[in-house]
Amino acid sequence: MTSSLASVLSALLAQAPTPEELQEQINLDSLVLLEVFYFFTVVVMWLIHVGFMAYEGGASRRKNLMSTAMKNILTIAVVTPSFYYFGWYIYGCFEHGGPAEGHAGPAEFPGFCGLTAPWSAGMAGNLESSLTGHLSLVFFLAFLLFSWTTASIMSGALIERVRLSAYLILAVVLGSGVWIMDAAWGWSAGGWLTTNYGFHDSIASMVVHGVAGAFTLGVLLNLGPRIGKFDAAGRARTFRPHNTHLTLMGLMLIFTGFYGFYAACLFIQSTVFPGWLNIYLSPTTLGTIAMVITFGFAGGFTGGWIASKGDPFWTLSGGLAGVISVSAGADVYHPSLAYLLSATGGMLAVWSGGYIEKKLRVDDAVGAVAVHGVCGFYGVLLVGIFAGGFPTGVNNVPTSFGGQLIGMLTFFPLAFLPGYIISWLLKKANLLRVPPEVELEGLDMAEFQQDFFPEFERVPEVIVLPDGQEVEAAPILLEEYTRTNGHRAGAPAERSSP
Amino acid sequence: MIDSFPYDSWEDVATTFWTFGPEDSTGTYILTVLGIILMVGAIIYWVWLENKKLTAQAELLRGAGGLPPASPTAPGPGFAEPPLAGPSTEPGP
Repeated sequence: MTSSLASVLSALLAQAPTPEELQEQINLDSLVLLEVFYFFTVVVMWLIHVGFMAYEGGASRRKNLMSTAMKNILTIAVVTPSFYYFGWYIYGCFEHGGPAEGHAGPAEFPGFCGLTAPWSAGMAGNLESSLTGHLSLVFFLAFLLFSWTTASIMSGALIERVRLSAYLILAVVLGSGVWIMDAAWGWSAGGWLTTNYGFHDSIASMVVHGVAGAFTLGVLLNLGPRIGKFDAAGRARTFRPHNTHLTLMGLMLIFTGFYGFYAACLFIQSTVFPGWLNIYLSPTTLGTIAMVITFGFAGGFTGGWIASKGDPFWTLSGGLAGVISVSAGADVYHPSLAYLLSATGGMLAVWSGGYIEKKLRVDDAVGAVAVHGVCGFYGVLLVGIFAGGFPTGVNNVPTSFGGQLIGMLTFFPLAFLPGYIISWLLKKANLLRVPPEVELEGLDMAEFQQDFFPEFERVPEVIVLPDGQEVEAAPILLEEYTRTNGHRAGAPAERSSP
Repeated sequence: MIDSFPYDSWEDVATTFWTFGPEDSTGTYILTVLGIILMVGAIIYWVWLENKKLTAQAELLRGAGGLPPASPTAPGPGFAEPPLAGPSTEPGP
């Protein structure tokens, strides 16, 4: 009996893994966990784009529904390859401001830079079991989804008059160039803003949202308002969204997707306590940021509701604005602080949205400049006030108000100028905006030759006047067409000349 | 059992196998260049095609003697209702 037990035990011990083998298994499990984690953040982040499409589609008038939705769909078609061929390389190689010298490949640049070239091993299927091997693909995909998001932020502001192709060109520049350049500078552990000034924007208040808002503002200045948006005195009218329910559902989908966005902004390192790092490789936890985003929504809804006096669109947009306002410090904020700060962000979005529309007379169809742009910059400013001293980056430079300010002063022109210049060039080439006749008729007929509600009777389009009165839109739109085009609708332009 | 697969003997081939060649190879460069050509070509085609559609539609609307109503009242595509704008024979402002 004793001898048989001993033989069983010795047989088991012979099969037992060594500590080295156990460590190898643990490391492999950790890598698989990492890959699965980022894969599912990508899946969840798709909801952001479902949401953007529903949000903007609902906010458009019936005659522009499909042309609005196609922008969101085709964002994926153009930003994906451009980010693969150029954008990821910018992130890998532009951390110090300009490009690394020479041919970018793993041999010449054995670090991250070389692995971001589209012909490197890390950018296609491979079985290298390391962070920079096959796992770099899920990192790339997470960043790609950030890129779609950045481009889509601009999308809604331009609806109902921008050419689809013009938007796609602008989306490539913003999604695969501008934002990823600022991410290389200030949203990576080795970025020059991080290593020199302790710039801290952990969940991308400014590097995604603020920059997209600034770029969008530059585009809007050249694009101009929709026909009929402002009366002769410059007072704003309001177009009625054709489906507010769809818009609100879209916003809720964006909110859901934002949890994936938040999670994807962390590094998971399951074999080292506490298991999570922020984008600057400082320790944090998934629970920390999840609490902040949730309280950010709560505070943002509250602030939006108060400032807009209960307007449903601005109440929900306030939620998004609230989260964006606390994202930069989401890795360090207390939930109560996040709640308070996000409430101010929700209010700021409503007030700045009104200012942009009524004072600046910029027609931002969904309030993107206010919600993403203003609150994105506001979020970075708040970190300088409420998280000053927190060590950031690989050399632990303390976060400071001055460092945050330097980041803001760097990123605003980096975003605004390309948006303004490229849209100006498109405008000069007459490729930015649809012809006014097409805008009045609706873009869907020109782009797709069909109505997308064929079984529903059309009713006269309405418009809300500055005094709140809702009236039929057609006479006003035709009058505005005449005023802005110098001749009556239907009369050729040359006949209107004296 | 999955761990009984001859993984070790496959690994060398599988790790380095790429269609048209491994990293930093001529085949990979060619694929990259072709992909960029498709991407740029698609954008140019979008610009051209949309411009053609928009120009045609705008000319159609102007040539039809007046703009369609900004808010059509008839179901379905097309312009069943007379345009709100006056006919093109009317004098301009």
